[in-house]
Amino acid sequence: MIRFILGRLLSIALTFTVVSVIVFLMMHSVPGGPFDGNDMPVSDAVKAKLNASLGLDKPLYVQYFKYMWGVLHFDFGIPFQSPGETVLELLARAWPPSLILGGSGVLIGTPLGILLGIAAALNRNTWIDYVVSALSTLGMTIPVFVISMMLIMVFAVWLGWLPASGWEKPNSWILPIAAYAAIPMATYARYTRSSMLDQMNKPFVTVLRAKGLSERRIIFQHVLRNAALPMVTVFLPMFIGTATGSIFVEAMFRVPGLGAYFVSSINLRDYPLEMALILMITMMFCVAYLISDIVYALLNPRIRFGGKP
Amino acid sequence: MSHERSPLYFALRRFADNKAAVVSGIILAVIILMAVFAPLITLTGYEDQDYLTEALGFPSAAHWFGIDDLGRDFFARIVYGARVSLSIGFTAAFFSVVIGIPLGAIAGYYGGAADWFVMRLIELFSVVPPLLAAMLLGALTNGGFVTIVVIAALFGWVQVCLLVRAQVKAFREKEFVRAAQALGANPGYIIRRHLIPNSVSPIIVGFVLAIPLAMMLEASLSFLGIGVPPPVPSWGQMINVGMNFMYFYWHLAVFPTAALAITVLATTLFGDGLRDALDPTLKGR
Repeated sequence: MIRFILGRLLSIALTFTVVSVIVFLMMHSVPGGPFDGNDMPVSDAVKAKLNASLGLDKPLYVQYFKYMWGVLHFDFGIPFQSPGETVLELLARAWPPSLILGGSGVLIGTPLGILLGIAAALNRNTWIDYVVSALSTLGMTIPVFVISMMLIMVFAVWLGWLPASGWEKPNSWILPIAAYAAIPMATYARYTRSSMLDQMNKPFVTVLRAKGLSERRIIFQHVLRNAALPMVTVFLPMFIGTATGSIFVEAMFRVPGLGAYFVSSINLRDYPLEMALILMITMMFCVAYLISDIVYALLNPRIRFGGKP
Repeated sequence: MSHERSPLYFALRRFADNKAAVVSGIILAVIILMAVFAPLITLTGYEDQDYLTEALGFPSAAHWFGIDDLGRDFFARIVYGARVSLSIGFTAAFFSVVIGIPLGAIAGYYGGAADWFVMRLIELFSVVPPLLAAMLLGALTNGGFVTIVVIAALFGWVQVCLLVRAQVKAFREKEFVRAAQALGANPGYIIRRHLIPNSVSPIIVGFVLAIPLAMMLEASLSFLGIGVPPPVPSWGQMINVGMNFMYFYWHLAVFPTAALAITVLATTLFGDGLRDALDPTLKGR
């Protein structure tokens, strides 16, 4: 187990380094710099001075090592688009709305999806199964901004029950949370259904029936527990996936969160912020996959007791 | 047994039993036909501002989907939008397969260091969100058709590669491969003549399921304004514009949303049906 974790940590460090180099190179090969905007043109001499003050005149590899050295000390630099704060302060300000909405979406969508999946598996080939399957396919295939658009059209424009945008009033949170919840709900409905059907065809279920256990105990004590295994592994990556989902959901519902900065940091050549955002997401995905693997191993007795998975 | 029935016959029968997949296939075929014959079924081209005086007009008998903010027939824009969406979807899926097959075959056949390298490569692509990479690449190359195809293929090959790798790995130890090796066939020949032909069903499935992913990526990028540049009609772009008019001119938001949703859904269900028909052991995953 410790060998496995160490191996994975090394692999993560490698991945992280490669990603940081590639992203840094790509970011700097985008033509134009942070002071090339047309709304406030500056003379070449001023531009050179500004670039020098931010260290942008140095060779790329120097800039890269300087930035990564900072990252290792949790110093992500100062965002060009808002020089009054550090990148970390900007994140601390912009992340909470995204986290609240995305987090609630996942926390509501996941149990809902599991319930739907159980209902579908237990009522296989009935209308319940078909409705759940249709809903989960819809949720998994339709882009999140289309789902947001549908929610706005129905609940804000036609029915007029909820505000279409904003952040101040709690009732304006409902629609974005629903949009965020769609993906986890659909994913979990689908996984739960197929995973449960998988388990219900296994011989041990027949044995349990032969033993005379009630169907309820078979489902909730045995089938569900085995079916839960593969479902644990998708949770964390999905949670982190809401970060990129925020680009769309927040644009649709005009929420002042992290989403807009993904786009603006690229458009404004805001190198420190851009780098920080991509590195953070990459790191979180790496850690999420690692934790998922460990949790999976811990929950699965076949791996826990030293056997092969 | 009077005559043998081919595996293809059973695959077709399984596919025909799957109503959702058949209906999706028909819908997809209709959308493809509409895209191909777009000039025949639309009143105007996608960029002709022939109805400026009636701009933002609601759907009517003459203009089925209404008129957009710049006086263009919206039905024409939606139909031509299918061309953009489908061509990007199919081209990207094609290149995903072109990248995915050799990498998957090499990783599956040789194992060891080659497999390690390919798996690390896949890991690299799984921890970077495609959308962020796409936004960066889009900025680098100013968007456009080719960029989107490249990005979608760059992230679409992973799925194909994994499917092919699993299949090759399973077949590598089979007797006919052993026999070929014993007869002195070199690895390239075995992969080409024996292992890839045996991976045709996962390749087809990988191809079809890569299409909706590419279409979604295109719509997402165009929605953010870094996809196909106007006036080329893209559904993602139209949704973005329609959002601004949503309260008063619902048709500008509803039709592109529905078009995108229906096309992506139909392609996915068709692909799911194909997978279930071609490889019953994968059913329901």
